[in-house]
Amino acid sequence: MAEIAFRNVTKRYKDILAVDDASFTVADNEFFCFFGPPLSGKSTILWLILGLEKPDSGEILIDGKVVNGVSPAARNIAMVFQNLALFPHMTAADNVRFPLVERHEAPAKIEARLKDAAEKLHITHILHKMPGQLSGGERQRVAIARALVRDPAAYLMDDPISALDARLREETRVELKRIQREAGRTLIYVTHDQEEAMSVADRMAILEHGAIRQVGSPVEIYDHPATTYVARFLGSPVMNILPANRIDGGFEVASGAIRFDAPEGMVGVAELGLRPEDLRVSAFAGVGQPATVSEVEPLGGYTVVTLKSGTQPLRALLRGQPDMRVGAQVALGCDPARVIYFGENGQALPRPLAKPLGGGTQ
Amino acid sequence: MSTIRLENLVKRFGPFTALKTMDLTIADGEFVALLGPSGCGKSTTMNMIAGMEQPSEGRILFGARDMAGVAMGQRGVGFVFQNYAIFTHMTVRQNLAYGLKATRRPAEEVARRVGSMAELLQLTPMLDRPAAGLSVNILQRVAIGRSAVMEPAIFLLDEPLSNVDAAFRAVMRTELKQLQRTFKQTMVYVTHDQLEAMTMADRIAVMDHGVLQQVGTPLQIYNDPANLFVSRFIGSPGMNLLQGRPVETPAGMAVDLGPLGLTPPLTPPQAVAVRAAKGEVIYGFRPEQAALVPEGQGMAMPVNFVERIGARTILHLGQGSDVAKVVFENDAGFETGKMLHFAPHAAAVRLFDAATGTALKGH
Repeated sequence: MAEIAFRNVTKRYKDILAVDDASFTVADNEFFCFFGPPLSGKSTILWLILGLEKPDSGEILIDGKVVNGVSPAARNIAMVFQNLALFPHMTAADNVRFPLVERHEAPAKIEARLKDAAEKLHITHILHKMPGQLSGGERQRVAIARALVRDPAAYLMDDPISALDARLREETRVELKRIQREAGRTLIYVTHDQEEAMSVADRMAILEHGAIRQVGSPVEIYDHPATTYVARFLGSPVMNILPANRIDGGFEVASGAIRFDAPEGMVGVAELGLRPEDLRVSAFAGVGQPATVSEVEPLGGYTVVTLKSGTQPLRALLRGQPDMRVGAQVALGCDPARVIYFGENGQALPRPLAKPLGGGTQ
Repeated sequence: MSTIRLENLVKRFGPFTALKTMDLTIADGEFVALLGPSGCGKSTTMNMIAGMEQPSEGRILFGARDMAGVAMGQRGVGFVFQNYAIFTHMTVRQNLAYGLKATRRPAEEVARRVGSMAELLQLTPMLDRPAAGLSVNILQRVAIGRSAVMEPAIFLLDEPLSNVDAAFRAVMRTELKQLQRTFKQTMVYVTHDQLEAMTMADRIAVMDHGVLQQVGTPLQIYNDPANLFVSRFIGSPGMNLLQGRPVETPAGMAVDLGPLGLTPPLTPPQAVAVRAAKGEVIYGFRPEQAALVPEGQGMAMPVNFVERIGARTILHLGQGSDVAKVVFENDAGFETGKMLHFAPHAAAVRLFDAATGTALKGH
């Protein structure tokens, strides 16, 4: 069991600020995900937790105790790396046994742990094979089993399934989540795949230039992004973030194709955020400002439609396979309650309730 | 004319057959994706079109011209590969201009074409930066630009986006499509990513184990997969596939799904198709093509796992292990352990012969 926390941790590599005054607390048994673009500090945070790097300032705590001076081995944290690093000359079983053999555990205990981990990861039938005979997905499971048998206080995983193909990643991320729930251990996870992050994480931290921009459950962050950066970073297609024009009593975006009533006292609004799935697209009935369909991307279950009204394109995510033609004129609308308001500095403003205002809002 | 015709194309490497009798015609100006898992023969096919490999049998025609014996450099095709080969000691501008200068185009024309390509690929701000310091994302853009600026009639791309990050991949998908609309090249695009194929291609050729499985528009392939392989490979998640036995019920033909204890009904055309099959069938439906129904109607399965991913919620269903997935929007308050009552859209059900894996046409 382990609660892991950073208090104002900063780490520099020469003139690069890898981790910038980061503070967070990962609760015991939590599946916590760090998500950010390349070089945003995700992996450095893992190194710091493991003890392979030392912070320049700030405190790292495990179960409330400062561990800045504690060796990596004494921290008892298991790491699964991006490149799986199985021993190629050992069978899968020997790979899984390895950390226990090294600690001189009793043979009966080793076998019991091996059996348990192999069952959880569905690898019992391949334990006799050498890594070279295993598929990428199987090697992945063996590597995770090897981490599991150690019975550590917490697991760290650095993009552990990025090498798998798309279909296998979809399956494995769900398996990982199940294993973590069953094992009842803290799991800190780094990924660059937003679907994966949203799927597995109980809570996640969004990073930019080494700084933590928002911490929350995937649903909280998706529905209530704190900044335009976070809003753009999570969600596919990307959130429409559009300059807000003040009109009498409300706002309009996309050259008037969408209009809202705004509550009184709503000040300092610079941009409005609209998720593509919250946009409504309907036949243009001749009232208000239409938008033009400029791109239709059928995904099968959904259709991504790019629309133009004025200069900035908007994207809508529609369910199913609607009959949309490039060049067609359509009316746009959306649920005003789903609109995110952003201020000049890109920070989200407290969201008031708004009502639609005639025109193209149906 | 820049049509590409592959006729009875076969490629063997020693005893291993990488490609088995491929026939495919790609129209002038068409964007075709060769889609499949690793080892399916898609890159081998591409390499033969490019002239890097020679066919063991069959022929390749560009328009009416047989390409046998025509060297790679003489085929007039442009390529982009996964591992961009950029001259790192040159600037972006020098990289983009390289091919045009090598073919001795006038300086004014070089400047104009490099400028408009840079504009199209959003490289204008970094034209005079040395390539050495640029990110992988930008380098791949430069690689695409350097090939495209030659305005080849045939443009071949082999997994050009597999090394760039996910967010950038989405941007590049749009740009590549714009590029193709602008220059109207015949485009052949190799990928293992069904999303790339679905969003960009006019038609997709799905391949597996050296065999062309199906050719069609993205929606044809999604809606009417020719066999079980295609049904699983296309879509995210893939199609649900449940094995069962056709049975007559008082309400008409249905499929008895055995241990699942479910007997979903079939439409009259599906019933005709199922009767033609000899043995067991696979009852298939897309996770997105199902609706919630009142208890007692449709199918009932316990929710094993709830995955909320942005706009969608994927429900993993089944007793113990997952047997099906359905996708809904977020607002329905799904919970692990609860029974879900749902029914696939009747017309969206797809049936396959369990023995051969081939689609049974019945809709």
